[in-house]
Amino acid sequence: MVQIVIASSGTGALAQWMLVELQGEVEPRQSGSLAGSLLGDLHYTCEGIPVLIVGHHILYGKVVQLEKPFAVLVKQGGAPQPSPGEPQGHYTVTALIKTKLLFKTRPKPIITHVPKKV
Amino acid sequence: RSRAEVDATLQTAKLNPAELLPAVHCLSFGPQASAGECCLLQLEPGLCAELEAGRSLVIRGEKDEQAVLCSKDKTYDMKIADTSNMLLFIPGCKTPEQLNADPASCNIIHSQIAGFSNNYWELRRCRPKLKKLRKLLMEDPYEGPSSQKDQTLTFSKYTTEDLLSLIQASEEEILHQLQVIDACKIEGYWRILEFNYEMKLLDHVTQLIDSESWSLNKVPLHTCLEELGSLEPREMIEHILLSYGRKYVDDGVVYFEMREDKICRAVAQMLLQNAVKFNLSEFQEVWQQSVPEGMTTRLDQLKGLALVDKSSRPETISLLKVEDLPEDNQERFNSLFSIREKWTEVDITPYIQDLCAEKQTVGALLTKYARSSMLNGVKVYNSRRPIS
Repeated sequence: MVQIVIASSGTGALAQWMLVELQGEVEPRQSGSLAGSLLGDLHYTCEGIPVLIVGHHILYGKVVQLEKPFAVLVKQGGAPQPSPGEPQGHYTVTALIKTKLLFKTRPKPIITHVPKKV
Repeated sequence: RSRAEVDATLQTAKLNPAELLPAVHCLSFGPQASAGECCLLQLEPGLCAELEAGRSLVIRGEKDEQAVLCSKDKTYDMKIADTSNMLLFIPGCKTPEQLNADPASCNIIHSQIAGFSNNYWELRRCRPKLKKLRKLLMEDPYEGPSSQKDQTLTFSKYTTEDLLSLIQASEEEILHQLQVIDACKIEGYWRILEFNYEMKLLDHVTQLIDSESWSLNKVPLHTCLEELGSLEPREMIEHILLSYGRKYVDDGVVYFEMREDKICRAVAQMLLQNAVKFNLSEFQEVWQQSVPEGMTTRLDQLKGLALVDKSSRPETISLLKVEDLPEDNQERFNSLFSIREKWTEVDITPYIQDLCAEKQTVGALLTKYARSSMLNGVKVYNSRRPIS
């Protein structure tokens, strides 16, 4: 039987991360990988409403406490030939996510050029 | 990004900085973000606390089985749930409360998105798959020290570790089930007693109770071990007392209160396994005569062990053990309906009770897997589909 262990790395308390949920897909502006590229600015209003400015859009969202938190798992490189009885795979719990920012409303476009009335 | 750039964006977006908290998170994708190394596991209640306490979880499954996830004491079915939304996971991102609580929070927080996904692993609490446990232990039941079998090298013996690597269940569920099936550890291996050997041991004890005229509720351990220790290993004497009695201590002395229902049930099994079917009234007579003095037999002691056919003349009874039936819900119902076309709720309940999930009732199972109708004024259940 395959046994895959999911465990924390054991060094101190688990990190707390945040989940940001967006509608649709995120694509790089120029084709190429996303790594390193900017997504946008995340603000909060004084009432605690998250506001995300992505490209030419403003997204309004809300802070949601997750009823079922998530664990973020990172796969560890497996041993080449694990002996029988030993786990055949290992995931490390890198962080827990208990909060998400949900952006469900339609993005509002930012109009940067206002045509002059002729 | 600099403060100036952030402010410029705010201005273009026509947002009033006065209505916003001073801190801003500038989100960018980290170097490993697209690598897809991270995945999300949605945690059922209790699992979060387990992980925070430093305990680990294990995914178990043979290549042809549906994977399950096991904590120390629970088992869950695993499935991938897709979402049409994009989920980004971001370390170090703060909520408004956290920003307000910490006046020293930086103006600009550069946060790197560690990864993103549009799916996650979803869990659903399920019944542990324990049928395999009995099957494994029945490969080589223990027949007693005088049996020749145990002298030979046999590999059909399992330690706790072995069982953990073969059974899709949590450790506590496995250990609990071992207790339920009266397994015992012999030389480090979990064993089930071969039925005839078990009955032999039980017979030694009941004969001794009779000859000593003990009360069935006060059987002294010490005397049993002394009197029977020459016939059978002391561990086996004690094991049979633990299996068929309730241990208690009175004034420093260990006694057992014998379990009438369980003993009567075992005697019934011994009688029923010798033939396909018995005349019910004949059986009841022989059964009552075969149980220890002072015990009373009742048909309801045989739930999940034997089936009475009230429609035949004369009425008959036959052996039908629930543990011999399939573990999967649909297969179980198919099997039951091929044994008997129509069942009353009273008759079928002992054979489907173990299928009930955490908050499920027998009624719910019947609604899902059977069709009801009336027969001679009684509600009966039959299969939803033709059984070949």
